[in-house]
Amino acid sequence: MTLLQLDQLGLRRNGQCFGPFSFALRAGERLALLGPSGAGKSTLLKLMSGELAGERGRLLMQGQPLAQLSLPERARRRAVLPQSHQLAFGLPVELVVSLGRWGRESPSDALHLASALAWAQATHLRGRRYDQLSGGEQARVQLARVLVQLIDTEAGLLLVDEPLAALDPGLQLELLDTLTCFAAERGHALVAVLHDLQQALGGFERLLLLRQGQLVADLPAGKAALPALGELFGLRLQALSLPEGGWAVAAQRAAGCVVGCAKGYAA
Amino acid sequence: MAEPLPLRQPLLQLPSWRWQGLLLPLMGVAVLLACSQGALQVGLQDWWALLRGEPTPGAQVLWQLRLPRVAFALCVGAALGLAGALSQGLFRNGLAEPMLLGIPSGAVCAVALTLTAFAQGLGGLPAAWRPWVLPLAALGGAWALCALLQAVARLLAPGAVLGLLLAGLALNALAMAVVGVCTTLASDEQLRTLSFWQLGSLAGATWPVVALLASALGLMLWGAGRMAQGLNALALGEAVAAQIGMDVRRLRRRLVLAVALLSGLAVAWCGLIGFIGLLAPHAARALVGADQRRLQPLAAALGALLLLLADTAARVLFIPAELPVGIVTALLGAPLLLVLLRRAQRELGGAW
Repeated sequence: MTLLQLDQLGLRRNGQCFGPFSFALRAGERLALLGPSGAGKSTLLKLMSGELAGERGRLLMQGQPLAQLSLPERARRRAVLPQSHQLAFGLPVELVVSLGRWGRESPSDALHLASALAWAQATHLRGRRYDQLSGGEQARVQLARVLVQLIDTEAGLLLVDEPLAALDPGLQLELLDTLTCFAAERGHALVAVLHDLQQALGGFERLLLLRQGQLVADLPAGKAALPALGELFGLRLQALSLPEGGWAVAAQRAAGCVVGCAKGYAA
Repeated sequence: MAEPLPLRQPLLQLPSWRWQGLLLPLMGVAVLLACSQGALQVGLQDWWALLRGEPTPGAQVLWQLRLPRVAFALCVGAALGLAGALSQGLFRNGLAEPMLLGIPSGAVCAVALTLTAFAQGLGGLPAAWRPWVLPLAALGGAWALCALLQAVARLLAPGAVLGLLLAGLALNALAMAVVGVCTTLASDEQLRTLSFWQLGSLAGATWPVVALLASALGLMLWGAGRMAQGLNALALGEAVAAQIGMDVRRLRRRLVLAVALLSGLAVAWCGLIGFIGLLAPHAARALVGADQRRLQPLAAALGALLLLLADTAARVLFIPAELPVGIVTALLGAPLLLVLLRRAQRELGGAW
């Protein structure tokens, strides 16, 4: 089933052209957006969430133009985990999470709230003030807020904008696992802007590669994607088999860089 | 830390009982104090005389001067406190005051124009209308500046709170320049009236004005209560608020309108009174936390209490002369603003 359809969707922003993007996203699919800084990953994500309106082209959600859906209806079907976790005031944790149920409060909210906090492993943060939490704890609370938004929907859309970049590697993997399991259980599609190639190849099934606002490749995650990825980032990528099965990526800078760098990649 | 509220709430949430229990006696003491002090001391026997309808001088002072003034101070203070709570939520900054939007200066600008440029037309009005002209002009000025601010901010930096803030700064300067021109052209008598507006005083209290203000305040408290959860969502950021399904632009429009109305109403009858909108919400946040549903009623109550105390001090300190209450609130509030600035600097570092 096609969940989201981008049809020649594009816009100009700060003098740079983004798109036109044309691709379809199936329900339950896991898609990673990859590319160098400034390639337009976040812009594409904002186009997909409807935060930015395309200047041309169409964006269809389950066959309907997104712009025709009401704001609460959109919120029921797609949630966005933002890049920044800043909050203007020190609100209580429960209040922050419960805002994910905005405009469709129901008697089962307390249940949803508890379940979302449990998913995000944030139950122990109940009763705390958001501004007194550590960065990792704030990320858990934001994750719970996003999960509670889609907790009673099927085949929704979860968009994730480099939220994990500032967190420690253990927490990154843990939160990504949570997102993946949560999405799989409900048939949500998961779209994430990522920087870590290992995370993208390990946790996602489809990769979109972007450069200078254009889509350069749309390919399944796997060893076959390594040459295209290497070319995109200017890296020499190798798949290394792990003793316990599976494989990992090793990256080296591609040959042909300036001589002064030679020491760097010999190491 | 207070127990968080459940999601569904009555429209107007009273502060938790502890603060309510403490606030009511405090308010009562302040009212009694404000009523008794002044050029003429009012004692218990005058209250008794007032209740029995005996026309003693003390009872008359109480009914015609002190009580309306106390009620007036409470209403204006509550309006300023609530306006502060709303604008801090709107600008997502604990230091944002309605003054920052330049809305009061829009009101003062309209008053200055009415006093000087349209002085001829003013003289031609029936005598019964004259006391209402300047307050109406002030309210109109606040409205006009607010509408202009909305339009300019949307044109220059759509959706950005910082853009709105800077546009407010520019319009503030513009309004004050117009006031400056009017000051230069004004006669001595006009100058005195103008300086009353710029310094702020509660001396113009009458029962009809109090009744008008109190009913407007009641409506605004109800409306603000309905926007409280939206303001909470706005604390997450405008983009996130839109993603959870909120109509951010509609909320922003309503908030700017509410802030303009509240501070315009306050300015309309008593001129510029600063810092209540900063102090009251700040103290309220320290007591009950940042949840707007708890914050709003308490900020209004604290604003009322603060302004009543400041006005009593303004009346009593230099009997028989009376200080403009705006001077007292500035004397109290400005140093505290500096302390808050220092704290914000320490908490947020250079990024602030």
